[in-house]
Amino acid sequence: MTSFREYREAMANGTAVAPQGPLLPSDALGFQGERAGFVSRTVAAGIDVALVFLTVLGTVAVFWMISFIVDPMSPGTPVTPSSDRIPSVGIMIVYGYFLNWAYWTVCWATTGRTVGNLVMGLRVINHKGKRVRWVGAAVRAAFCTTFPFGLLWVIVSGANRSVQDVVMRTSVIYDWAVTIPGFIGLKLAEPDASSNE
Amino acid sequence: MLASSAVQQDGPVEYLNSDDRQEVVLITRPAPAGPPTLIEQTVTYAVSTSVNAALDRLVPVIADAIIERIDLTDVVIEQVDLNRIVNSALDSLDLTQLVIDRVDINAIVAEADIEAVIDRVPIVPLANYVIDAIDLPQIIRDSTSGIAGDAVSTVRKQGVGADQLVARLADRVTFRRRQRKLEAPGEPESLMDRFAADASTTHAPLGDGEKLGDEGNPT
Repeated sequence: MTSFREYREAMANGTAVAPQGPLLPSDALGFQGERAGFVSRTVAAGIDVALVFLTVLGTVAVFWMISFIVDPMSPGTPVTPSSDRIPSVGIMIVYGYFLNWAYWTVCWATTGRTVGNLVMGLRVINHKGKRVRWVGAAVRAAFCTTFPFGLLWVIVSGANRSVQDVVMRTSVIYDWAVTIPGFIGLKLAEPDASSNE
Repeated sequence: MLASSAVQQDGPVEYLNSDDRQEVVLITRPAPAGPPTLIEQTVTYAVSTSVNAALDRLVPVIADAIIERIDLTDVVIEQVDLNRIVNSALDSLDLTQLVIDRVDINAIVAEADIEAVIDRVPIVPLANYVIDAIDLPQIIRDSTSGIAGDAVSTVRKQGVGADQLVARLADRVTFRRRQRKLEAPGEPESLMDRFAADASTTHAPLGDGEKLGDEGNPT
């Protein structure tokens, strides 16, 4: 049995840690673990797409500034049009799609949450309730990026599942972890080794 | 000589020899009342003085001789009902009030080694008991919901409400009467054991009967 002296010694040695628990409102406990609906998932996806869009704009801005180092403006030389100093729209769109795919892949394969998921309290899991593996996350991210309208199936689905969820046998659940998973207090779920995704 | 004799007192006559019917009558008279005479006083004083002087000399000697030959402790133990005496004394005393009146409890507490007492108290099980008794996790959840994640929780709750609203509308439009199957496999991280911690840290030693919950993997 732990006595007060042992407790003090453990605290002095740094071998004791204060318990860290999830901090959830009591009225949110009932639906934790249930499949999320259309609005939450759409808002989360919108946040992610907005972040990617801002990143693309930032990249364009960086390219534009670098262009002045490579091709500085000087008197007597012809003015380079701005369209020549930044990548074309097609390249930016492809870059944005790639960035979005990579972002979703990494987030879903590592924590199951993107920034949008974290804000809305969502998490992506596979058919066993565990974290999606890298291949599965990459395929799902590509599917979601190229066919975002698959999210509309959540509205009519009897189980709040999108087209991507049905094909990939994944689910998006309410999981209101206040702390960032793997960073404070909570430990990441182990990947499902038996999954083929 | 009289044929019978009787004792003549202030009271009735008593016949001493009833067999031969000869009676002897004795007549006594009470001592005359009044202060003792000088002779009586002198004799009384002399006797009492000499007797007291003799007793003063003899009694201590005799008592010492007796005490030397007797083990008084054994005598008291064998002959005296000590339980009765003690119980009688305790019954007649209010010990609590006596201690309160006569004992300086603060001085005793000041001299006591309180830390040694506290060190023997199993503080962690005691704390766990208190936490369970007052449902501290629920209090923390309710209080922190208004501090740490109030804005985020509001957005999330509104999202959940909108989800349910859209689902109800869709179910009504599509004439679905069955409830949606929202149960997903696995366990949400938000409901995992509150003692789940990072693998790089360790916990304080646990007492008997204590255990940590599953750390990490949802099933």
